[in-house]
Formats: sequence, C-alpha cells, structure tokens
Amino acid sequence: MRWVTAKRLFFLAVLLTVTLAVMRITMPERTWPAPLESKFRDILAPVQTGLTWAGRQARHLVSLPVSLIGTAERNRELKQEVARLKSEIIRLNEYRLGNRRLSVLLEYKQLMSYRFDFLAASVVARDPGNWFGTVTLNKGFKDGVQDNMSVLTPEGLVGRVVSVSDATCEVLLITDPRSGVGALVQDNRTPGIVEGVTGGLGITRMIHISNDAPVEKGQAVITSGLSSIYPKGVPIGEITDLREESSGLFESAIIRPYTDFNRLEEVLIVRKVLPEAVSTSEGG
Amino acid sequence: MPIPVFLLLLGVALLLQTTILEQVAIIGVKPDLVMLLTILNSFLLGTREGAFLGFAGGIIEDLFAGSYIGLNALSKMTAGYLAGAVGVRLNRENTPVAAGVTFVSAVAGLVVHYLLSLSLGIYIPVFYALFRVAFPTAFYTALLAPLFFKRFLHFMQIQGREM
Repeated sequence: MRWVTAKRLFFLAVLLTVTLAVMRITMPERTWPAPLESKFRDILAPVQTGLTWAGRQARHLVSLPVSLIGTAERNRELKQEVARLKSEIIRLNEYRLGNRRLSVLLEYKQLMSYRFDFLAASVVARDPGNWFGTVTLNKGFKDGVQDNMSVLTPEGLVGRVVSVSDATCEVLLITDPRSGVGALVQDNRTPGIVEGVTGGLGITRMIHISNDAPVEKGQAVITSGLSSIYPKGVPIGEITDLREESSGLFESAIIRPYTDFNRLEEVLIVRKVLPEAVSTSEGG
Repeated sequence: MPIPVFLLLLGVALLLQTTILEQVAIIGVKPDLVMLLTILNSFLLGTREGAFLGFAGGIIEDLFAGSYIGLNALSKMTAGYLAGAVGVRLNRENTPVAAGVTFVSAVAGLVVHYLLSLSLGIYIPVFYALFRVAFPTAFYTALLAPLFFKRFLHFMQIQGREM
C-alpha cells in the first residue's frame, strides 16, 4: 500500500467515526440538546417567535373579511340552534313536570287501590264563563265512565261526572254553585253541606252547621259518604272563615278546597268503590 | 260585520275561553271574549243588530256548554241591545268611550245572567255575584276593548265604503 492511499483511508475512517458519533449524539430520542444546537436555538427563538406572530397576524388580516361572511352565517345558525334548544328545554321541562304530576297520581292510585278502582284522565276544556265550574275530561263511555262517578286528585275531592259522551265526560266541580256535597268536619264529625260559590273563585261554603257545634277555623272537612255519589272520607278542604246564617239557627263556613282548581290538569275518576271500602263507609 | 265572520270569531273566542284564557285568569276571573265581541259590534251597529248578535253569540255559547240553553243568550242580548242603544248617542270612533260602554253593558248583561240563574234555582250570594264575578269580569273585558275596537271600526268602515 502506498503512503497516500493509507492517509486517505485513515481520514475516511476518522470521518466515518466522527459522522457516526455525531449521528448518535443527535438522535431524536435524546433528552439533552447538543451544546451548539442549544445556543443556536436560544438565539433564534425570539426571532422565530416574532416571525410566527407576524405570520399569524398576516393570515388573520387576509382571512378576516372571508371569515366575517362565514361568521355572520354561523351566528345565524347558532341563534337558530339556541332558539331550538330553548324550545327543547321548555318541552323537556314540561315532560319533567308532567312526569312528576303523573308520579304523584300513580302513587295515590296505588295507595288507594284497596279502596277505589281509579281511571286517570286529563282536563281538556273548561267552562267558558266565570259563573259555573265545569271541566271536560278526555275519558268517556268507551273507558267505562258513567254519570255521577266521583272525581278526585291526591289533594282532595274535585267533583262528579254529570254527562258522558263516547270519548269525553263533563265534571261538575265542587266550586260550582249547582254542586252540593254531604260533608263532615273531621275533628268533631259535625255534619253540613258543602256548596260551590262561583266557578272561578275556587272556594266553597259549608252550610247548615249547627250553632252550638265546636267548629273552628283551620279544621279539615271531608265527605260524609251519606249521599250515594261521593265515597266517605275524601278530603274536601279547610275552614277559613265562619259566619252566622240569616236564620240565626245555623252557621256557615268558608272552605278553601285542597285541590287547586285553577291548575287542574290530571284527575282520577272513581269507577268503582271496592266492597271492603263500602263496608267501612256504611253509616258514615 | 258579515254573519259568517262573526260566527268564525265567535268560535275562536269560545275555544280560547275554554282553554287558554284560564291561564290569564286574575282572582279567578277571566275576560268574556264573546261578550266583548258582541258589545263592540253592537256599539257600532245599533240596537236591533246588537240584540241579534248578542242572542246569537249567547245561544252558541249555551249550546257549547250544553245546559241552561238561553241563559247566556238572554244576558248577552241585553248587553248587545244596551251597547247598541248607547252607541247611537255617543262618539262611535272613540276607543275610551267604547271601553266604558263595554264595562257598563257587560255589567248589565252579567247582572241579568245572575238574576236568571236565581230564577233557575242557582243560588249565588249577591256579594260574590257582583263583586267577585260581575264587576271584575266586566272590568277585565273592558280592558281588552282597546285591543280590538280600532280593528272592528276599521273593518266596519271598509265594509261601509264597499256598500
């Protein structure tokens, strides 16, 4: 081997060794930067930051008019979406409230199943005037509804069915001036008759209460079960005021019904009073 | 107002009264849209038409309710006749006057309703009848008169020109 050739081979070996070493040092998996690279990066970093910011601003400036057109469209779509979602929330809220009301109704229905055979119904219309109190329910002959069936809510007595068609029935509310319900003051069993005053007012009067009866404000009034229409022991309302009747022999009491007649939506029709309940209500 | 239009409005008024108006009831009283429709038309048309429209509106309301047929017919006929009689003596283009006539005529109609109810054996204590039903209903109904009166008047004027 000539001397020149040997020298070239030596340099090649050194070059390969150095290159391989640099390759190894600059592997991407390494966790430390090479000292030169590190210095270079530190010097360039502010410049790179400035250039990147400038580039972004330029792109933003160029694309702004285009993006504004898109934004207006997007804004309109989002407004529509918000309106739709608001309506959805109201609808879901309505379902939630309806579900809660029906749960209470179902609970009461199950609780009283030993006593009554109930049929749930919804109020679909009301009396057009302010004098009388009637409501139309969405259940009729087809569902087994008949005249004079009692209508209740978990809170208390609502009224009785006065006319029935195939798919609907009309209920005379206890607040109607044409309504009369045999009643008792729960604490002392004082009897009387609960009459409606006017349909819209949502109050009733208990008349023909004996003057010497120990009746006071705040006492509960329930059905007496003496008439053949209403079952015994159904809550009617609470005495809020007492007045002497014009004859001087009796008192009358203003009763605030437990049922909120202005917010009546779902009710229970008593299709049948079960035999056990009949035996307990006899003589009441 | 042509009879078909009146009947159509009457149907809408009845539907609203049996459904949505319950939601706007104040102290248990809702406005009487059939009464309002009758009185405003009668005020603009006169006694004969007023009595007829009142009777027609009332009888439809009675048929709708299905009981005591004639009770609303007679009470609304009274209100319609009175509104028509007052209308010929007053400025028929003045909205506050129309609202005042609505109140007075509605009270008269509701008092007749009360007296007829008593004659049918439906007892309502007089205090509740007047101060919790008749006056509040008439007042609430009269409050709505300005919303509709100008439209009715405009409609009648167009009708008058076409005739």
